[in-house]
Amino acid sequence: MDKPLFHFALAVLVAVLLPFFIRSGTLATEVLIFAIAAAGCNLLLGYTGLLSFGQGIFFGLGSYTLGLMLIHTSLPLLPTLVLAMVVGCVVAIIIGALSIRRQGVYFVMLTLAFAQLFYFLAYTFSDITGGDNGLIGIPRRGIGPLALDSSWSFYGFVAVIFLISFAALQRIATSTFGRTLLAIRYNGQRAQAIGFPIRVFKIAAFAVSGAVTGLAGALHALLIGIAPLSDIDYHMSESLLVMTIIGGTGNLFGSVLGAAFYLIVSDTLSAIWPRWLLLLGALLIVLALYIQKGIWGLIERGVGAVLGRRGGPDAMAPDTAGNERP
Amino acid sequence: MHRRRFLQLSSIASAALAAPPILRTAFAADDAITIAAPLPMSGAFAANGKYGSMGTSMAVADAGSVLGKKLSYLEIDTEGRPATAVRKIQEAMQQKKVQLFAGGILSSSALAMGAEVNKHQGVFFTTAGADEITGSNCNKSTFRWSVPTYGAINETVRPLIEKMPKAKRWYTITPKYVFGEGLLNAAKDVFKEKGVELVGNSYHSLDEKEFSGYITNAVAAQPDVLLILNFGSQSSATLRQAVNFGLKSKMTILVAWASGLEQFEELGADVSDGIYFGAQYWHGIDSPFNKELVAKVQKEKGINPNYSFAGAYIMAKLLSDGAKKGGSADGSAVIKALEGMEYDGMTGKETIRAADHQVIKNYYLLKGKAKAAMKDKDDYADIISSGQSFLSPEDAKCKMT
Repeated sequence: MDKPLFHFALAVLVAVLLPFFIRSGTLATEVLIFAIAAAGCNLLLGYTGLLSFGQGIFFGLGSYTLGLMLIHTSLPLLPTLVLAMVVGCVVAIIIGALSIRRQGVYFVMLTLAFAQLFYFLAYTFSDITGGDNGLIGIPRRGIGPLALDSSWSFYGFVAVIFLISFAALQRIATSTFGRTLLAIRYNGQRAQAIGFPIRVFKIAAFAVSGAVTGLAGALHALLIGIAPLSDIDYHMSESLLVMTIIGGTGNLFGSVLGAAFYLIVSDTLSAIWPRWLLLLGALLIVLALYIQKGIWGLIERGVGAVLGRRGGPDAMAPDTAGNERP
Repeated sequence: MHRRRFLQLSSIASAALAAPPILRTAFAADDAITIAAPLPMSGAFAANGKYGSMGTSMAVADAGSVLGKKLSYLEIDTEGRPATAVRKIQEAMQQKKVQLFAGGILSSSALAMGAEVNKHQGVFFTTAGADEITGSNCNKSTFRWSVPTYGAINETVRPLIEKMPKAKRWYTITPKYVFGEGLLNAAKDVFKEKGVELVGNSYHSLDEKEFSGYITNAVAAQPDVLLILNFGSQSSATLRQAVNFGLKSKMTILVAWASGLEQFEELGADVSDGIYFGAQYWHGIDSPFNKELVAKVQKEKGINPNYSFAGAYIMAKLLSDGAKKGGSADGSAVIKALEGMEYDGMTGKETIRAADHQVIKNYYLLKGKAKAAMKDKDDYADIISSGQSFLSPEDAKCKMT
């Protein structure tokens, strides 16, 4: 269950099967976009143990970067997406470098403060961002002869980017770098004593996470044709964290499940009952109390029971998410 | 990895994704014309969404059928979020082939939805407030029934100045964003023209809930009139706190952009008594169409129509009338039919201006009455004056796209 190739095969399976189970191309696309962002969040939370409320900043900046570029310049789509990643990455390095100077609760508070700061920057500079109205009229440029107008052609494009991002993140997570991040999460002091520059590693994790989240934000703006203020709101960070935790921290495919579950359940419940947020709240309480390893943990347990053995080694690991050891 | 384990796992993974389509609403039937109402049915503005949905569904039921096809109604929950709103509009247009939309109470969602509907040449009718909707962001598909900030100020501040020529000192409380600035700038223009002094202004953020500091500042400036330029729950909170501070006896208070009956119910007659309010709609309007609507809603729903209800009703009616007149429910035909249309609406004669798709209609100045003077439970206010004030499409900066 822990083989990277197996997880990648599952990601491919999701990308291929989603259109068969969801009639709406836009909802299916949104699932993959948020899966990318949640995987980026997971790298920080699940692998490095950093509970960051800054993810919304990178997501929002990705949206604005893409929007501003496509509205005001004639830059082709792919360089614009790369630019959104660069902006997400650079800002993540700055925020990461400042935030990791403190640990635990103070780290979380610093990222929250940055989230508020960037939200109000976007709100205040409404001439650039559109403020509360959002940045409207973002064109969906095609790639060469490939038009991305229809929802399913755009889905295909996003699916390819999703799989590339997933593979890249997985490569990072299984590399020495990724293993070191896990070591930092489980015992930062020991990792430092062995000689790892944990500050640099944490900033690097921020950089990767920022780039990936910026990319997701850019794709989101491209999907809906606007960069709304809510993309940079701290509620966005909250949603991304919730998706990551629902899916299961410390496992990248868990984030895909988390994003799919969150978005599809929200969409279904909101059509049934206007007070659906109550149900979602109750569901989160159940998850936090009884299913701390998220959906992925549940699947591992289920499969373990079916096959008569325990889940992977990560299922046995203590849940230290958000609790950096001193 | 063993093939069996792979299959087991993949079936579990996909099972989670399999359930929703079963629960999804059915596709709109081909032989029906659908009017969709994208409204905030959940979230902070769910109450407005509820009345909007009632209004739309009643208008659709009243119209029955158009062009020999049954008129059907599709409710879309925007959750009050632009991103969700746009996504669901895309779904409705691409998968359910819906072309006609009436809704979008919040400006940010409405602007985003208008742009999206325009991409696919549908029609989007809204009551949202932002000037940009029929101003700098106007487009071929978007129509707006409500009066923008310019008219709201000119039909409230101007008549009040004329009514009280001695009231020369005004103080404003303004939410710091585009909509608030729009109201404030329009007010400043009227003040300048009428020789009225703006003795002070307090800006606040959209998240503000506590207004006593601003009210103390207002008292210190000793104005004759306090002009409240925020809206919704913020204006209710501002007003309630102002009344608690005893401002009613010290100065005249005007809330330029009230939400109508909903807001009076929330405030209660003790607070609203003696206060002036600007409103897009009031159930007491003396017009044949309005009287008919009020009687009907009272009979069928047991309530008086409020602004969310009435706005939604007239927008859905205009869309079905547009389809009838245009001879097709196709977006471009309906747009053409609606442009320049004149009709007897709830506020009397209303016209849809072709150049910017703004409906030219009355805006009302109301005055809250005392509890003892109320004839029934909803008789919170009297209409003091009404009129039509609009910027020209050029001055509103509308360049139709």
